[in-house]
Amino acid sequence: MRNVPRILILTLVATLLAGCGDKRILEDLGFTQTTSYDLLPTGELDITLSIPLADPEAKSKRMILRTTSVSSKESRIKMAMQTHLNLVSGQLRNSIFGLTLSKEGIWNHIDTLIRDPSISPQVKVTVINGNAGELLRKDYKQQPRTGKYIDKMLQKEAEGQNVPKVTLYHFARDYYDDGIDPIAPVLKDIGDHIAIDGIGLFRDDRYMTKIEPKDALIFAFLRGRFKQGELSVDLSRETHSDKQMAMLSGLMSTRKVKVNLGRNGQTTVTFAIRITGSILEYIGPYNLSDHSDKKKLENQIASHIIDKSEVMVRMMQKHKVDSLGIGTHVRNRMSYKAWKSMNWNDDVYPKVRVLFDVSVKIKDYGKFR
Amino acid sequence: MTHRRYQDIRIDLVYFGHLVDQDKLHRDTIQPMLQARSEDIQTLLEQSQYHLTTDSKDLIKGILSGKAAVFHENESYLVDVAGPPSRSVGQSETETVIVGPHDAFNEDAGVNLALLRKRIKSSHLKVVKLSVGEVTKTDVYLLYIKGLNHEPYVQEAVERIRKLETDSIFDTHMLIEYIDDSSTSIFPQFLTSERPDAAASKLVSGRIVGIVDGSPTVFSAPTSFFEFFSSSDDYYQRWILGTATRLLRYLAFAVTISFTALYVAVTTYHYEMIPESLLLTLAESRSRVPFPPVYEALVMEVMIELLREAGARLPTKIGQTIGIVGGIVIGQAAVQAGLTSNILIIAVASSAISSFVIPSYVMSASIRLIRFVLLILAGWWGLFGMFVGMSGIVIHLSGLTSLGSSYLTPLAPLKPRDWLDVFVRAPLTAIRQRPSQNKSPNPIKSKNRK
Amino acid sequence: MRTMKEALSYAHVVILIYMVQTGVTVFSLPQIEAQYFGTNGWLSVLFVFAAVSVNIFFMALVYRIGNGKSIFDLMEQVLPKWTLIPLYGFLIGVWSMIGLMIVKEYVLIFQMMAFPTTDPMLLKLVVDLLILYLVTKGIYNIGKAASVFFWLNVWMLFLLFFFFGDFDWSRMTTFVFQGGEDRKEGFIAIASAFLGYELCMLLFPYADRKTKIIRATLMGNGLLTFSYLTLSIVAFGFFSVQQLKEMMFPLLDLMAYIVLPFVERLENFFYGLFLFSIIVTSTVYLWAATETSKRLFPRIASKYLSFVLVAFQYAVSFLPDTLDEVKNWLELFGQIEIGIAIGLPLFVLILLIVHKATRRGN
Repeated sequence: MRNVPRILILTLVATLLAGCGDKRILEDLGFTQTTSYDLLPTGELDITLSIPLADPEAKSKRMILRTTSVSSKESRIKMAMQTHLNLVSGQLRNSIFGLTLSKEGIWNHIDTLIRDPSISPQVKVTVINGNAGELLRKDYKQQPRTGKYIDKMLQKEAEGQNVPKVTLYHFARDYYDDGIDPIAPVLKDIGDHIAIDGIGLFRDDRYMTKIEPKDALIFAFLRGRFKQGELSVDLSRETHSDKQMAMLSGLMSTRKVKVNLGRNGQTTVTFAIRITGSILEYIGPYNLSDHSDKKKLENQIASHIIDKSEVMVRMMQKHKVDSLGIGTHVRNRMSYKAWKSMNWNDDVYPKVRVLFDVSVKIKDYGKFR
Repeated sequence: MTHRRYQDIRIDLVYFGHLVDQDKLHRDTIQPMLQARSEDIQTLLEQSQYHLTTDSKDLIKGILSGKAAVFHENESYLVDVAGPPSRSVGQSETETVIVGPHDAFNEDAGVNLALLRKRIKSSHLKVVKLSVGEVTKTDVYLLYIKGLNHEPYVQEAVERIRKLETDSIFDTHMLIEYIDDSSTSIFPQFLTSERPDAAASKLVSGRIVGIVDGSPTVFSAPTSFFEFFSSSDDYYQRWILGTATRLLRYLAFAVTISFTALYVAVTTYHYEMIPESLLLTLAESRSRVPFPPVYEALVMEVMIELLREAGARLPTKIGQTIGIVGGIVIGQAAVQAGLTSNILIIAVASSAISSFVIPSYVMSASIRLIRFVLLILAGWWGLFGMFVGMSGIVIHLSGLTSLGSSYLTPLAPLKPRDWLDVFVRAPLTAIRQRPSQNKSPNPIKSKNRK
Repeated sequence: MRTMKEALSYAHVVILIYMVQTGVTVFSLPQIEAQYFGTNGWLSVLFVFAAVSVNIFFMALVYRIGNGKSIFDLMEQVLPKWTLIPLYGFLIGVWSMIGLMIVKEYVLIFQMMAFPTTDPMLLKLVVDLLILYLVTKGIYNIGKAASVFFWLNVWMLFLLFFFFGDFDWSRMTTFVFQGGEDRKEGFIAIASAFLGYELCMLLFPYADRKTKIIRATLMGNGLLTFSYLTLSIVAFGFFSVQQLKEMMFPLLDLMAYIVLPFVERLENFFYGLFLFSIIVTSTVYLWAATETSKRLFPRIASKYLSFVLVAFQYAVSFLPDTLDEVKNWLELFGQIEIGIAIGLPLFVLILLIVHKATRRGN
């Protein structure tokens, strides 16, 4: 009995000494940080990789590899031949898609990324208004390495609800879900910097339209609950008065969706949105410390949000993109058969009546009356 | 050997001069004899310190252990005048505590017994005296408290010691290696301690304590793996602090075993686990190192072990130099020369420091060795290798026993009540029962409730 | 040396059964549910739980009527031993194959994730050696190892809280079992994820009255159902149904999603932790096969029997070498094993009744 462990250990050591490959030692690797995909007029793909370099002897902070090919995996083989490092994608943080390619559909590329077990489901998906490769290859002098720059910026902006956080996981989830369409943040090059250019709305995997950055918060209210954000509202038009504007900060918002399936086939969806926040800046006639004045202001902000929301939803209905997931809520009120038999995106969604019930609550208005 | 003959009173005195206490010999034996007249000798020898001995073997053994033999006419007596060299009770070197008793056992079994008796004034404290070693005839005392102890444990221990046939035993650890359940295992299966308060608490909890003459450590059994992570300090502090330190020790165990191995696994195979902010720092510090992470880590680990061993062998004053040389030469220069990455130095150092947090030196040494196994496995197969190694350790541990009881109690068999005094140190009023491993016939140890 | 022979304790059996049941199928469980049951497929776990409990009830009858005797003894007291040889051979074959096929699948997935070119049979050899090492220690020590592994594993359930942020009930839809495939097939597929409880029949001789072995088995099965249920609910609220259908190993994707400030992409780490439960599952199946073969070769020491069984299955496991093939094999053996789980207690029950009837007749 006592000999068994010894024999086992000996066998173990013997087999271990047989050795194995598969080593991926840190310093021999080229970690792809960002990949960009563009569609060339010829129909080929233009792919660029950005690889940060750790070697203190290297002159450049990052390595850029570029190639054109028919498929994205083929391009990897081509690019591996251009460098002394082993290209790996386990540290991929961001995949950016040029606008032309996004309009054609990006699912093939997303699918490749999801399939690869070394790639994280937390890789961000971003659309570039313009040429993604050009943006990635460009060095922004006042900013960190371009790949990291995009990544950090998206992260920060997502925390403030200016763009949604969209990763491979989110994109694939919404792509497969029949009650909601995927979205992705849109960026563009503005010379010395990169700027947020709104939220791209997809239908299946094709980019249809986008929401302007100034309306991002409205979109965030409609999309779901969140806990941090800033909103500046210009109330001049609502009140037909002099300049009046308010800046809300520390926003918290919850959303409830109520669905009413009318008998005549007219579906009504009501968004009930509760927003609380504090006023940081206010220019206008009201005295915030007065209770009734504050109520008035709250109502005005709410109606402002409702107006904006109506415009936004109408726009989405026009493009037949259900980016808010109204479909999931309608679906949950129907029978499976009825849901499957109708063509939600094309037939029903554009005709849905969407109502808004927005309430705004101002928690505080700073430390000055 | 000294042989003195007193013709007029017809007495022969035989003893080893270096084993006996000369003062005692003069005061207790020689003086009264010289003053006595020959007819009083008989009455003198009837006094209690003279033991009538008829067996010549006993006589030889007595002389060998420092007694004086008195021959008068046809009778022979033994007088205990032993005073062999022994040091006084001092402080423990290996198990220091900050609060609590500071005395430690020394090499004299009699002193050690006295230290324990002083702490446990109970008539139920029993001592079994055994002798081990064909040549050395070392005395071994097994102590237990009758009524608190599970009898079969004592029988088992006595039986194992009786069966032992060897020529010499010089230390408790030697004896343990002969009598524990699996002598080939890397883990110590009997707890050893230098502290009388620890030994006394083991006795009261229903365990057996063994004292080996000539060794300043005593052992206690049965023992569980987790006992090695508690120190008497835990009980002398407030319970929250005791709990915190104990949890810290388990953390230290995890760190010691896995830190360097994780470094190797991650830098060799699982680069994707490194967060982006650390990635470039790590890659940069690795970029100048000429060998793969396993060799790098092995070299550094061996270096630390060399330092430790050198420090342990050298006198304390020179030992400090070793620390400086090691710290500067290996820490600074190796990184600057590009032989290792600085992050590895941090990993190796923290795992070395953690290994010293484990209170039992024997256990901490075992764990340090296991670390190397995991390190090599991680070098071969990354995380898979590490988990294979850990499974191997767990399987090995689950097969271990201590005096026939499971080494992994109270985790397996599951005794949730014992956890109060194993993974945490609950308030004393909450720990109402003795550890279930000891199978004490009287398990309730404290009735106070708060 | 005197070794204390102890009966398995209640907690040991609970944990052992739980660990044996948790196999490599857990990684694809939500996918199976989505594929066969469609929307809200997680509910199917409850049905399987009920079915398994009924099955355990039959084993309870065997235990009660047979007075806790080994099922082999019960069978042999009615039938002559030579008639049982084909049955024993069959059981040995199925059990040793299941136990060690699981390892092969585990190793192949690990290879896919981290070691694309390492020979999977080498990785499997190491795990098999560990299993052999554990099985030679006997069922009591296997139980002890299982409980340590359990504690090293079970905290992972708390990780499910991590997905709270992206969890959405409305994603689950209100439809029950819509858009799935053949439900019967799905039921069997999910039931094979529960397999392992049937081995409690072999534990009878190692348990005593205090063990309450049947209640412990039910409890272990309940614990497993709880963990499967929470996992499935999280998966169905985190992924969309259609997405789940397309995934190979949803649990791996869940794990990969976790990001901690000092470490990310933990799927390798957590997957590694699952080695513990794979080892237990596989060891207990191998142990069952060894126990059965001891009936055929009572004179040979069980460690040699285990060794031969491991060597045999290792040779066989060279045959399937892609993940799909291994999955198919496991599926096949899973179906056979479900048959055994249902059939064996019934068979023994019939024998017992016949035995009692004939004794009364005499």
